[in-house]
Amino acid sequence: MTEPQSIDAIRDQVFAIIAKQAKIDVATIRNESTLKDLGVASLDAIEVIFDIEEHFDIHFPDQGTNFDTDTVQHLIDAVVAAQAAGGEGGAQ
Amino acid sequence: MTEVDNRAIAITGMGAISAFGEGAEALWSGLREGRSGIRPLRHERAADLRVRIAAQVPESFDPAAHFGERALPMLDRASQFALYAANEAVAQSGLDFAAGGLGGRTGVVIGTGVGGETTQDEQSRRLYAENATRLHPLTIVRLMINAPASQISMAHGLRGPSFAVASACASTNHAIAQAALMIRAGLIDVAVAGGTEACLSYGALRAWEAMRVLADDTCRPFSGNRRGLVLGEGAGVFVLESMAHARARGANILGVLAGVGMSADAGDIVAPDPAGSGSAMAQALADAGLAPEDIDYINAHGTGTPANDPTETRAIHAVFGAHAPKLAVSSTKSMHGHALGASGALELVAVLGAMRDGVVPPTANLDVADPACDLDYVPNQPRELKVRAALSNSFAFGGLNAVLAVRAA
Repeated sequence: MTEPQSIDAIRDQVFAIIAKQAKIDVATIRNESTLKDLGVASLDAIEVIFDIEEHFDIHFPDQGTNFDTDTVQHLIDAVVAAQAAGGEGGAQ
Repeated sequence: MTEVDNRAIAITGMGAISAFGEGAEALWSGLREGRSGIRPLRHERAADLRVRIAAQVPESFDPAAHFGERALPMLDRASQFALYAANEAVAQSGLDFAAGGLGGRTGVVIGTGVGGETTQDEQSRRLYAENATRLHPLTIVRLMINAPASQISMAHGLRGPSFAVASACASTNHAIAQAALMIRAGLIDVAVAGGTEACLSYGALRAWEAMRVLADDTCRPFSGNRRGLVLGEGAGVFVLESMAHARARGANILGVLAGVGMSADAGDIVAPDPAGSGSAMAQALADAGLAPEDIDYINAHGTGTPANDPTETRAIHAVFGAHAPKLAVSSTKSMHGHALGASGALELVAVLGAMRDGVVPPTANLDVADPACDLDYVPNQPRELKVRAALSNSFAFGGLNAVLAVRAA
């Protein structure tokens, strides 16, 4: 992993990943939207998580997160936390 | 009575291998005591994996002790399990397939989710990681999904219709249903049927991790603190006979396969639909000529995932109505893990054991109530209960459902 990125930069990238997966206009995404609100259901949500993990080279915890109902802000927070946790790309 | 009898199938032999070790009795005694077969994952790459636990066949299982030097190189772990369980079931049935041409009137139907996964994984590793250009010559015959059925047919001289059935986690129940329907149709008198799975390869474990459905602590079906499923492995195989054939030879009948029900959700590839699973349960009852009130026990699909358990509960309510709260419903996956294509087989051992001993196995690790799971799940302690008839549920990824209705002999 390189330098930690700014929150704005992370947010823009997370928005772009969700927009691509959900096939929606990025302008319709809000920090407080849930994936479910955006029409990203069950398996699609897992794909969004995978895309974010791949993009940032991080690993989200397996448990304690309900990706369908969590907000986009939570995903951004999780990226920030995972990056802060170290540069090993969240190696297990 | 006569009409029902023609549709009913006698189960006259059972065999299994599971996290409880070798034999159907080892499995059943573990379940009836509420013991868990879930242990820390044994795998050469366990340190790299996020999967920490599994319900694996113990290391004490020594294939060389059971299979000849010539047979062993042909046997993927999935075939080893299936053959072990089939040998046990056939021995218990007391059938002699060489006598009177019986082998020609006996079929083999074995369910498995993925077949020879560890063979595939190992050969892929050689190919891509070691840049090998030469693979083991028996790779194809080991990994093919019909290998377990073929090996059983070869070992016992069974020459009737024989094949594999694949429907992920419902594979066993679909396989047993196919065998039963062939017996009913008069194509065969006897079937050796069940399921096997041995897919805890590095690649498959990584794929399961990616799906984010695995529990990291243990399997807690129907519990408010459930965290997902725990992978298992093993096999269960049964000898099925037409009732007339079993009675004519005075066979010891372990239980009666009275009906089968199958359906497809035709919806989401993973999210379960209570209409689909409910339809399979209702069809199994109707096929068996049983009313909801006749059922005392349901061995639930009960994976311990957030999605399955409330959905299965809703389906049971819809099918059983006022009788639903009176049912004993348990998920033995809490103890033998989710053996995927073999799970229905391990669970049929539990159903037959419960009928024989009058003891229902518990749902282990159920310690937090969930308002969305409001049935009697026989939490944590086995229960003495006379089981006249039972359902065994299997609902697969892909929305494929298969339910067996079993009654006491």
